[in-house]
Order: sequence, then C-alpha cells, then structure tokens
Amino acid sequence: MTEFISNVTFIGNGIFITLQLLFGGLSIGIALGILATILKYNGFGIFFIDRIISILRGSPLILQLSFIYFSAPSVLGIKLSIVSAGIISFGLNSFAYISEILRAGIKSIPKGQFEAAKTLQIPNYYMWKDIILPQIVRNILPAMINEVISLLKETALISTIGGMDIMRTSQTLAAQQFSYFMPLCIAGGYYYGLVLLIEYLGRKIEYRSEYVKN
Amino acid sequence: MLKISNICKKYGDNLILDDISFMIDESKIVGLAGPSGGGKSTLLRCIQQLEKIDSGSITCDGQVCFMFQDFQLFPHMTVLENLLYAPKLNDQFKNHEQYAEKILKNLGIYDKSASYPAQLSGGQKQRVALARSLMIHPELLLCDEPTSGLDVATIFEVVSLLQSVRELGVTMMIASHDLDFLTKITDQIVLLRDGKILTTIETKQIENPINYLRKYY
Ligand SMILES: Nc1ncnc2c1ncn2[C@@H]1O[C@H](COP(=O)(O)OP(=O)(O)OP(=O)(O)O)[C@@H](O)[C@H]1O
Ligand SMILES: [Mg+2]
Repeated sequence: MTEFISNVTFIGNGIFITLQLLFGGLSIGIALGILATILKYNGFGIFFIDRIISILRGSPLILQLSFIYFSAPSVLGIKLSIVSAGIISFGLNSFAYISEILRAGIKSIPKGQFEAAKTLQIPNYYMWKDIILPQIVRNILPAMINEVISLLKETALISTIGGMDIMRTSQTLAAQQFSYFMPLCIAGGYYYGLVLLIEYLGRKIEYRSEYVKN
Repeated sequence: MLKISNICKKYGDNLILDDISFMIDESKIVGLAGPSGGGKSTLLRCIQQLEKIDSGSITCDGQVCFMFQDFQLFPHMTVLENLLYAPKLNDQFKNHEQYAEKILKNLGIYDKSASYPAQLSGGQKQRVALARSLMIHPELLLCDEPTSGLDVATIFEVVSLLQSVRELGVTMMIASHDLDFLTKITDQIVLLRDGKILTTIETKQIENPINYLRKYY
C-alpha cells in the first residue's frame, strides 16, 4: 500500500508539466486561432493562413515537436527548453484545429442575424460582442471541449523528447521497477481523471450558456 | 415619404429588378404582390440597404426598419432584452424601458418578457419581431411575408396589429403571397412580376381586387 502511494506521488509530479503544456498550448492555439479567423474574415492573408493550417494538420504532431525541439538550435540558433518547445508545437498544432472550429462557428450564425443587427442600427463592434460572439461560443463549445481533451492526451508526446510529464514519470518508474502494469495504470488514472474534470467543467459552461433552461 | 426612381438590381447576369419606380405617401400601407421569384423580397432588401442597387435611386425621409420573414430574433436574449438592446446603444432613443413595456402590453405579450425566443409560438415571435422593430421608432416599416406559416386566427391578429401600428403614423410596405390578407390591410397594392411592376391598384377603389390581381399571376 505504501508502495502504491509512493508510486502515485512520484508519477503525480509529472502533472505540473502536463498542465503547463495543456494551458500553454491552449492559450497559443486560441490566441492564434482568433487572430487568424479575424484576418481571414476581413480578407487578409487567406491563402497564406490556409496553407499553414493545412501543413500543421497534414503532418504528425510528433514530427512537429521533434522538428521544433531538435532543429531550432541549428536553424534559428536558439536552444529551446523542452517545455517551451512543447508549448510552441502543441500551440501551433491546436491553432490549426481551433481556427477551423472558429470558422465553422462563424458559418453557423445565419446571415439574418447580421442583417437584423444592421437593420436595428447596432454598430459593428456591439454586433460582434453581444449578438454574434455569444452565439458562436455556444455553438463551438462541444468542439472546443473535444479539442482540449485531445490536446491533453497529445501532451504525452513530450515524453519522447524527455519532458518529465505524467507519461514520462510513469515510464521512469516502470524502468526502475521492471514492471509496467502498475505505473501505466496510475498514469492512465491521472489522464482519465483530468479528462473527467474537463468534461465536468465543459458541461457546466455549456449549461450556463444554454439560452433556455428547462 | 419614400421615392423609388428607376432602380435596377442584378444578381450576376440576372436582372432581378428592372427599372422600378414608385412613390409612397406618409402613413400609407402598400402591399407587394406577385408570383414567387418576382423580386418582392429583393425590393424590400434594397430599400433597407441590405442589398446594393445597380442604378437608380431610393430616397426615404425617416428611419427604416425591416421585419424578416423568419423574424431573426436574437436567440440568446430574452424578449425584453431583444427589444431593449438596440435603443440602449443609441442616445437618440429615450425612455425606451417604458416604451418597451407599453408596446409589449399593447401586443399582449408582456407576460412573455422574460421568455427566450425558443419558448414562443410563431405568432408570439411575430409580435416580438414587430415590437423590436418599433423600438427604434421607424417611419417606414418593411415586412417580408408577415403571415407565412401562421394560421387563420393569427393572421387576423396580424392584421389588427399592423393596423394599430399604422395608427402610430408608421408607413408600411408589406410583401405577401396572401392576397386576401393584403386586400384587408393595404391602401395600395403593387404587383411585381419578373422584376417589373405590372400594375398598381388602389385597394379600396376597385371591386374584387383579388380577382383583378390573379390575372397577373
Ligand atoms: N442572393 C441571391 N443571389 C442570386 N439570386 C438571388 C438572390 N436572392 C434572390 N435571387 C433571385 O432573385 C429573384 C427574386 O427573388 P425574391 O426573393 O426577391 O423573390 P420574391 O418575389 O420575394 O419571391 P417569393 O415570393 O418566393 O418570396 C429570384 O429569381 C431569385 O432566384
Ligand atoms: Mg420573398
């Protein structure tokens, strides 16, 4: 029993890296996603942005991660820490997916909503802020929650370049104890626990953004 | 009140409105009739400037408001919020809270103030849409198919609603397939077909206007 608890604590140390990667990546992904969506909506750099998104979606994340971590020193002359390389690559990758989610979100708003706002002489800024965005947020929430869950699981790739996340701490432990069963079960428990937490928070936000509560 | 001179509107190579001209006097209700695809909605959308016209001119003295066939209420706002949102942003409109209350009471939907659009029936949504349009004190109200999808009793209500709006001094233009409805409420009916005005009648001065208009369909 004490061995189990010490295993859980040891693997649990990885949760800080995992969460850093999740929140860091998500912040970059959302920020870039919003920026790209605004630019594209206003007709700027559509071709260029679409190519970037296509490339980011069109190659394995593990390739992007090793590319950024291992080739940044030789190409850009900067040595990135493991965590920053992770945040950058996970951020760029989720940017590709998030901007597609946002695009679909805008398309989900009927043209009539924009026209109704115009008809009522609501200025553009307020139309976006109070009429369009709240509806977009509500429509994309399920897809965004999916994206957060995917991203959480993908952060486990950081172990391939030596990041001490949950995955890596469990592997370390397994190597020490010559047994994979217990450490991997514990790591799985951590990931699944986090997924359940995200699902729970997601449902709460979804409930709060429902227009009609029955 | 509204003067339309020689307007043309194309979508791509298709001429949708072909040299349309007419005038509307203050506080009149004018109907737009004609077969499907004749250009009724397009004409209303041009007047509201939701579409650009290719030539001609539209002059209107006063505020215009457009009522959509599918209402386009804001689904994430309650009935009252739908009414108050636009006037709240504009200093020109004063006492809008009392005004909203008055309109909602007049239209018999005051008890629905806190409901969301999804919780309303078609006729109730219609009234909210009308109330919301009135909040910006339009001088000209454009209605696209205000009776479509409503049952006979509700259409009757719409007639009396629009008549009470006329009493506020609002000029109206109503596109509709429902000739019976149009003859009940309008002073004048313009018949549009293939983007051209085929005839204009004074509703009250003609015997059996419905039969007369049917010939043009
Ligand atoms: N956005 C658009 N792009 C291209 N063509 C359009 C567009 N909107 C309307 N049209 C065309 O314009 C013509 C007139 O359409 P409009 O909607 O004004 O007719 P309507 O008289 O309102 O018909 P209905 O009685 O069915 O509502 C139609 O032939 C239609 O195909
Ligand atoms: Mg129409």
